[in-house]
Amino acid sequence: MSAVEFRQVWASYRGKPAVRDFSLDVEAGERVVLLGPSGCGKTTVLRLAAGFRVPERGAVLLDGAVAAEAGRLDLEPEQRGLGMVFQDLALWPHLTVRGNLEFGLKAQGVARAERERRIRETLRLVRLESRPDARPGELSGGEQQRVALARALVTQPRLLLMDEPLSSLDFELALELRREILALQEALGFTLLYVTHNLDEAFAIAQRIVVMRAGAIVRQGSVEEIRAHFDQVRRGLLASGTDGTAESAGVKG
Amino acid sequence: MGSRRLTLTLAATLFLGLGLAPLVVMFASSLTVDGMFGLDRYRDLWASPRLPRLFGRSVLLAGLATLGALGLGVPLGLLLGKTDLPGRRLFAAGFILPLLLPPYFLALGWFALLGREGWLARLLPDAVARTLSEWLFGLPGCAVTLATVFLPLIVLLVCVLLHSVNPRLEEAARLYAAWPKVLGRITLPAIGPGVLFGAVLVFLLVLGELTVPMFLRYDVYPVEILTQFAAFYDFDAAIAAAAPLALVVGLPLAAEWRSRRFAAPDLRPAGTSLSIRLGACKWLWTVGVSSLLLMLVVLPLGALLLQAAPADFGDAWRRAGDALGRSLLYAALGASLLTAFGFFLGLLWRERTRGAGLTEFAALLLLILPSSVVGIGLIGLWNQPATAGFYASPGLLLLGYLIQYGALSGGIAHSALARLPPSLEQAAAVAGAGWWRRILFIALPLSRRGLLTAWLVAYLFCLRDTGLALLVYPPGGDTLPVRIFTVMANSPFGLVAALCALLVAAALPPLILTGLGLRREAHSP
Repeated sequence: MSAVEFRQVWASYRGKPAVRDFSLDVEAGERVVLLGPSGCGKTTVLRLAAGFRVPERGAVLLDGAVAAEAGRLDLEPEQRGLGMVFQDLALWPHLTVRGNLEFGLKAQGVARAERERRIRETLRLVRLESRPDARPGELSGGEQQRVALARALVTQPRLLLMDEPLSSLDFELALELRREILALQEALGFTLLYVTHNLDEAFAIAQRIVVMRAGAIVRQGSVEEIRAHFDQVRRGLLASGTDGTAESAGVKG
Repeated sequence: MGSRRLTLTLAATLFLGLGLAPLVVMFASSLTVDGMFGLDRYRDLWASPRLPRLFGRSVLLAGLATLGALGLGVPLGLLLGKTDLPGRRLFAAGFILPLLLPPYFLALGWFALLGREGWLARLLPDAVARTLSEWLFGLPGCAVTLATVFLPLIVLLVCVLLHSVNPRLEEAARLYAAWPKVLGRITLPAIGPGVLFGAVLVFLLVLGELTVPMFLRYDVYPVEILTQFAAFYDFDAAIAAAAPLALVVGLPLAAEWRSRRFAAPDLRPAGTSLSIRLGACKWLWTVGVSSLLLMLVVLPLGALLLQAAPADFGDAWRRAGDALGRSLLYAALGASLLTAFGFFLGLLWRERTRGAGLTEFAALLLLILPSSVVGIGLIGLWNQPATAGFYASPGLLLLGYLIQYGALSGGIAHSALARLPPSLEQAAAVAGAGWWRRILFIALPLSRRGLLTAWLVAYLFCLRDTGLALLVYPPGGDTLPVRIFTVMANSPFGLVAALCALLVAAALPPLILTGLGLRREAHSP
């Protein structure tokens, strides 16, 4: 069954199409990475899934039910049962780590004892059990990243959206967190829709990669298929004298 | 010293010197008796129970008006700045209108509506009309009028603060909760320190307001300063009354300034934020906001302007022609001076060079100090044999505008300059341009839209000013708001209404022209 489905979706930003005739079906428990250069519409796809944007044409379905269709929002963001990790993390600075995790649980009406148990358990999963009373500003970059992940997971979402969550981290920390995200997804089994412009990150995280350009899907396939395609493009670019970087390959995808 | 430091230090020193010297001289003079230190002036004045009682009334009025402005301003700011309410811009313009007019216009409007001969009073039974009239001439009338006058400050501040909140914080919360909870737990705590700052400003501005309580015959502390000066010609007593008010305004501002520093609210837009869709309730909210606008602004101001019969306009023109011309000239000159100086204040505050923080605090203090205090300070400093020529010229009024409204033009220029990417000036520096060249050819043209806005705001504030001009206008050179204020007690109400209409009409052409200029700027590449 599809966790999320986009059916011929169109959305524009200031009169320019940001997503064009976009169709994608993500199966429950699948890890799908949206890959492409800046401005290609990846984040718009996530915002459509979250309900922050309404498609002008086409439909977005969650677990088979229409969530938004042609200018109409059927399910508000809080009714979608999603988790999301933002590029800038968006941790609420006036709340503690516990407060950040508790907000969603309280909104869902989870009982106090159960809230405490879930917060403890989630903080343990992300190895932050010793910092529940810290405010985001008191944490290191890696710890903040873990809080953002914990906040997204504590409500036990069926679908987790991640918008370039590792882009601001140094290489080693990004590698470590990448491994943690994979381990958590395998342990908890949530569906993951992950946005990045980094080829290596996409290859490490994805089961399926969707390459986007100018608001549309230009290619999709397994990691092996996409890797083979990019290797071929890169060889061509090197032979023609251009830089042959992953970004160039993505653009030319 | 480089030209950057030299220019900015000069701007800071000039502003601090011109702005704070009148206050320092006033305090020093209030503590001197026959050339010796003494508290006799304070002792004499404060010996009677009248002053503490007046002070208590001022605090009560300021508290009630602030509560009113907050109670209405925060929800209105949320509705106008955060939702898809139809006609938001029109509503915003309507609610802002009272801030652009002399505050006593609204009091006159309420009088035209609820006074003994008022429009509404004529339709109501005698007993009700009398009760309403008593209600108007007293604390409730004063509080409602001043709450409406300063309501736009809270509404505008809430709107700007809402756009400065990182939209992702709200989006993250929207994944779990509906808007009321998101507003209560995320948005309002994020803008809370800024709103509190606005509330303190409104409280202090109402505390110093003179004209509305005078017209509505509710005795308050600032009236005493003017009475001592203008009625009893006792300048020493006026100073002794003004100095404590300066302290009372300065101390809470200093405390709030400190806390604001810790909270560090950033008013720069943080990106496109989610808008609340009002859905089926949209029209209900529209009716509610329209009714509020009608009740608080349209009815009183409309009733005032409708009092003026066609014949009154001829009479008004004869009585006010010269004062109107002066008002426009002083407002235009004051606005130009404020914009030029504000640009350098904006640069100073952007670059945070030495003295920037102190100048920012001084500018804010001078903005919210009662105009009677600033006026008394200016008279004390400049009414000397050596400066008699300047004292008797319009220069003193223009100087008053500069120090009292410097925070507005400086703040707007600062906001415009802070939005310019630093790399633009850095690129010019790398190309070999010195500081002055970078400012004149890069920063100035790119911030022209902000400077045009600064000119417009300064123009409107100079044009509406009454309290300052009342004290420092040159002999035979009063402005229109002062003339209306002085003739309204013993002139036919139709004439007063026609004079008010003249001032509103005079404010419009520059407003429209500058508005059109801003529009053209917005559409230019």
